[in-house]
Amino acid sequence: MKLRETNVGRSIFRSPDRKTERDRAAGHWSSFLLHIYPVKVRREELHFRYSWYLGVASTVLLASLVVSGVYLMFFYVPSPTTAYGDMQTIQTEVAFGQFIRNVHRWSAHLMVITVAAHMARVFYRGAYKPPREFNWVIGVFLLILTLLLSFTGYLLPWDQLAYWAVTVGTSMADFVPFIGGSAREVLVGGDQVGAATLIRFYVLHVALLPLIMVAFLLVHLWRWRKDAMLDQERPGMGLGPHAGEEGGVGAPPGSGKQGGGE
Amino acid sequence: MSDTDPREVEGKRLLGIVPGQPATGERKVPEEQDLVTVWPHLLVRHAVVGVAVLLFVLILGILFDAPLREVANPFETPNPEKAPWYFAALQELLSHFHPLVAGVLVPGAVIVGMIALPYIDRNPAARPALRKVAVVVFTSFLVVWILLTLIGFAFRGENWGWVWPWDEWHGEL
Repeated sequence: MKLRETNVGRSIFRSPDRKTERDRAAGHWSSFLLHIYPVKVRREELHFRYSWYLGVASTVLLASLVVSGVYLMFFYVPSPTTAYGDMQTIQTEVAFGQFIRNVHRWSAHLMVITVAAHMARVFYRGAYKPPREFNWVIGVFLLILTLLLSFTGYLLPWDQLAYWAVTVGTSMADFVPFIGGSAREVLVGGDQVGAATLIRFYVLHVALLPLIMVAFLLVHLWRWRKDAMLDQERPGMGLGPHAGEEGGVGAPPGSGKQGGGE
Repeated sequence: MSDTDPREVEGKRLLGIVPGQPATGERKVPEEQDLVTVWPHLLVRHAVVGVAVLLFVLILGILFDAPLREVANPFETPNPEKAPWYFAALQELLSHFHPLVAGVLVPGAVIVGMIALPYIDRNPAARPALRKVAVVVFTSFLVVWILLTLIGFAFRGENWGWVWPWDEWHGEL
């Protein structure tokens, strides 16, 4: 007997029979883990060429960063007197320390690339067009958050590479008129990068920015799920591959003649 | 076909063939806009991509160690002084233009432009051929940005002078 056909299983999964497509849809709909997904998508979304799966890749990299980052947090104290020594300890004494640090570093670099590439792919797909404009805006914020997370994490090893990269990066803020100087001082916590900067970047990196990131990501995914079946339900929204063509699927009525201009 | 010679098809006796349409109607050819269930069609693909990405990162982690230089020293400025690679384009711009332009106006315009893009581009067409202006503008920006990043990352050495990356390497990850 399968678990989901028992009394306990029924109480958890709610939909024990998975015989027809309707049963499976009902099971999907009542599953907590699957609720971030739509029940159905358009067939074209399955192809590699549609999205290059860059959104999934970014999300998986974020998960890898959270897991490896939490592991590193156990062994790291954000203070100029201890930080560098902790890095050496992580690399030499902590079990799998060097490996986990490598995974964290390469995941972070890759995530900047996949998020930026995801954005480019969405552009060429035209997938930011109405009614999806706002999800594109959230995507821009997610890209900025990715860069900020990467940049704040860059300082934490407290080696020459970290120190001077952050000195160069934060000095750019000085050029912003009126608020630039004070913005830099709030970020750095003084005239130059030091103990105050390290603790500020650490809190931003492990607490504040990840929380904001996850909040934005949830809205991003929720919006995607809501819009996943749009083409079928609202053929007038102009998102299909033939939108703008005369009589094409997804073309708003009478839009064929206006389709050529910008 | 004679009555004395019944053929067998898949274990059934074939009594006759009727010309015309199948009783159930034509087999439907699946179209790109048709809906398919996420489980299993999309989830299986996502699982494969997820495992592939994870494996790729784990293998990178086995093969290459993350850099760790000497301990931070505020009194010893390295030459060249490099920002992380994703800011290399900005740093490269800073070496050519006034800081107000390269450090404030350009990045500000890029962010505002990106946010405003769907509200500026009101052309409903999705195919690149029907939205040439948007595609050309975006592609030019992308190419320039990638080139600037590459130059700032790999082609700049001491005092931000030009170097060939195969002669001396100054890129840091």
